[in-house]
Amino acid sequence: MCVPDRALVRVQDLTPEKADQLIWLRARIHTSRAKGKQCFLVLRQQQFNVQALVAVGDCASKQMVKFAANITKESIVDVEALVRKVEQKIESCSQQDVELHIERIFVISQAEPRLPLQLDDAVRPDGEGEEEGRATVNQDTKLDNRVIDLRTTTSQAIFRLQSGVCQLFRDTLTKKGFVEIQTPKIISAASEGGANVFTVSYFKTSAYLAQSPQLYKQMCICADFDKVFCVGPGKKSSHHVLPPCAAFTLVRSLRCFQTEIQTVNKQFPSEPFKFLEPTLRLEYTEAVAMLREAGVEMGDEDDLSTPNEKLLGRLVKEKYDTDFYVLDKYPLAVRPFYTMPDPNNPKYSNSYDMFMRGEEILSGAQRIHNAQLLTERAIHHQIDLEKIKAYIDSFRYGAPPHGGGGIGLERVCMLYLGLHNVRQTSMFPRDPKRLTP
Amino acid sequence: MVIRKAGSEVTAVSSCLTGSCCCCLSTSSSQRTSVSRNFFFFIIIIIVFICLSLFRLSSSMSMYQVKPICGGDIKIDLPTCMYKLANIHAQQGTGCNPEHALQNGEVDPAVKALEARQNEIMRKLYELKAAVEGLAKTVTTPDADLDLTVSSSLSSQSSSSTTFKGTTDLDTQLGKDHGALRDIVVNANPAHPPLTLLVLHSLLSQRYRVLSTVHVHSSVAGVPPQLLSCLGPRHADSYARQMFQLGFTLIWKDVPKVEMKFSIQNMCPIKGEANVARFLFKLLAPYPSDPALATLVDSWVDTAFFQLLDGSAKERAAVLRALNSALGRNPWLAGPDVSLADITCYCCVLQSGSVSSAPANVQRWLKSCENLGYFGPAKLLLQ
Repeated sequence: MCVPDRALVRVQDLTPEKADQLIWLRARIHTSRAKGKQCFLVLRQQQFNVQALVAVGDCASKQMVKFAANITKESIVDVEALVRKVEQKIESCSQQDVELHIERIFVISQAEPRLPLQLDDAVRPDGEGEEEGRATVNQDTKLDNRVIDLRTTTSQAIFRLQSGVCQLFRDTLTKKGFVEIQTPKIISAASEGGANVFTVSYFKTSAYLAQSPQLYKQMCICADFDKVFCVGPGKKSSHHVLPPCAAFTLVRSLRCFQTEIQTVNKQFPSEPFKFLEPTLRLEYTEAVAMLREAGVEMGDEDDLSTPNEKLLGRLVKEKYDTDFYVLDKYPLAVRPFYTMPDPNNPKYSNSYDMFMRGEEILSGAQRIHNAQLLTERAIHHQIDLEKIKAYIDSFRYGAPPHGGGGIGLERVCMLYLGLHNVRQTSMFPRDPKRLTP
Repeated sequence: MVIRKAGSEVTAVSSCLTGSCCCCLSTSSSQRTSVSRNFFFFIIIIIVFICLSLFRLSSSMSMYQVKPICGGDIKIDLPTCMYKLANIHAQQGTGCNPEHALQNGEVDPAVKALEARQNEIMRKLYELKAAVEGLAKTVTTPDADLDLTVSSSLSSQSSSSTTFKGTTDLDTQLGKDHGALRDIVVNANPAHPPLTLLVLHSLLSQRYRVLSTVHVHSSVAGVPPQLLSCLGPRHADSYARQMFQLGFTLIWKDVPKVEMKFSIQNMCPIKGEANVARFLFKLLAPYPSDPALATLVDSWVDTAFFQLLDGSAKERAAVLRALNSALGRNPWLAGPDVSLADITCYCCVLQSGSVSSAPANVQRWLKSCENLGYFGPAKLLLQ
């Protein structure tokens, strides 16, 4: 059995209880500063950092101090050090009560001397940078050097939160009896329109990358799986039950990520997220009335444009003081062909959108489960029936009434934290201009 | 104008002629045979002047005569449906008719008859009003307890608008509905539940189709279950928001004062339970038209909230004494009918826990309030 020759301690575990112990630690050099016979280092592991000291004495020679001072930033080092309590709190570090007195230091992986961006600059809030004349890093540089940018405390907090969101989603749905499924990502026909599909070569023909797994989730429901969801690169999931309860539990549970939220708020200040329990549900006619009262001219069956959605978000925030609400009963004319019409009013449909801070995070509806009605609606929307034959066929052999929607994970994180660009919550974003890293 | 113009042209021509004649005269004065010619010219000039003067005079004498275009007597068929007015011009020349002259102080007998009829109608109206008021008194005095319970149960069964006199229309109070639900949002602190508003909500639900929902805001950690169900069970049709006339959304939130929001564009939020109560009451019935009575109601509402609920023990005792003396004279606090004053004072007395320490008149009034049957939700919450 292989026993490691050194037991590495985590920086976050360095507390006064460990005082006077000799420990091994592996971390990155955040900063190093030489002063005469001493060298001060700040060692960093994710969002925790601790001050370390190399001083000329029994363990360290002058050359060692010089060596420590010259180690490049971001290099990974192993140190063997004594943990010492300090009387005065070290304000600039996360571990404020202790300090390391280094006896041995080894460079495990050296970083190049010139870094494309400095981490301190990447974390600085934009306003502070302008005021004090210090540098901040613009988003393109950050995205080009994502590996370094993701090391900042803010990025760490954002993506840990995102992971938490995904996990909470899975837990909540599984508790309600949902089954997680994996759907194919390469399909034979573009499901909704042909505008933005990606074509891939497939053996001797070509195929398409799936825009959304909706088709297959519906097929699973017709296959008697009752409640299904899937988390995937389109980042959408589908449920049988009305989503507001699941989404709301999610929002409430995000409260346990307080430290992460506060870390992000330091660089990107925003207002805390407010919501009502049970979730506020408004109807489309009320939204139109509120917008008209505010001076917007729109017809009863017009779709909401993005500026109107944002205005509506502000109006709802003012009247009900909530950042999260559901807008139900959209007009049939602006929804896809598979949306079930409202039984009480043919102008409207059983479809809904959910909004956070005035921006849409989910679009969902009850789907038509009757093959004949589906065919009629498809003809009405002038869709080629040949292309969706497989889809219609899945409802011909008994299909239960069902509905669902897809939530954007990155959008939820972005809107919950009050950020302004979805690339900040996307680890390696892809857009028309960006294909790497 | 045309004639004058022609006249001036003629004068110009004649002056030219005269000028040329004079020139001729002067040039031909040397020749002896030109005497006859001179004479001839002289005659012509005189003729021209005579014609000119005649022309000038004729312009003021008479106008150019035009023959009439159409015949003078055309038959006109006067329509019979029009109101015939006597010809006002024809009388001008006739002078005063001595028969219609009115002496000072004398009144036309037709006017007299009209006045007499009017007085008769007014007298009948007053008699009717007195009779109705008398009936009302017999029904609503607290001494007639039996009659009260019967009438209150009848009114709750019929669920009509007879509980409060006067009719109000939601459109006039709240503005046009733009085809969507009109939602009233009330933010209240769960530590101080607004009983008056709950009572008014139940009255509104009897009168209109009200969609009531209760929400808890994220600023509040948790709320006891009776506060969640204080607006009654959820309506079966609550998914069809458009079918309701009014929406009542109660949000339990960490706010210092009760707040009400209705129309973001046209109204600022209303703060304070007393003010929200006044707004909601106006949807049920208008304030009494007598300004003194309306002021009395307002003053009791304010006293209830500021001195009875929020005041010190001394202030509360003073208010109870005032209530006692007011209720000694009238069955209700403001006039012969139940009003907002009674609703608010009852709720505040209940909430401040002064029921047991209230004097005799107040106790009797509290019992008659309970007999009305509106205060169920408030009592439920306090249990």
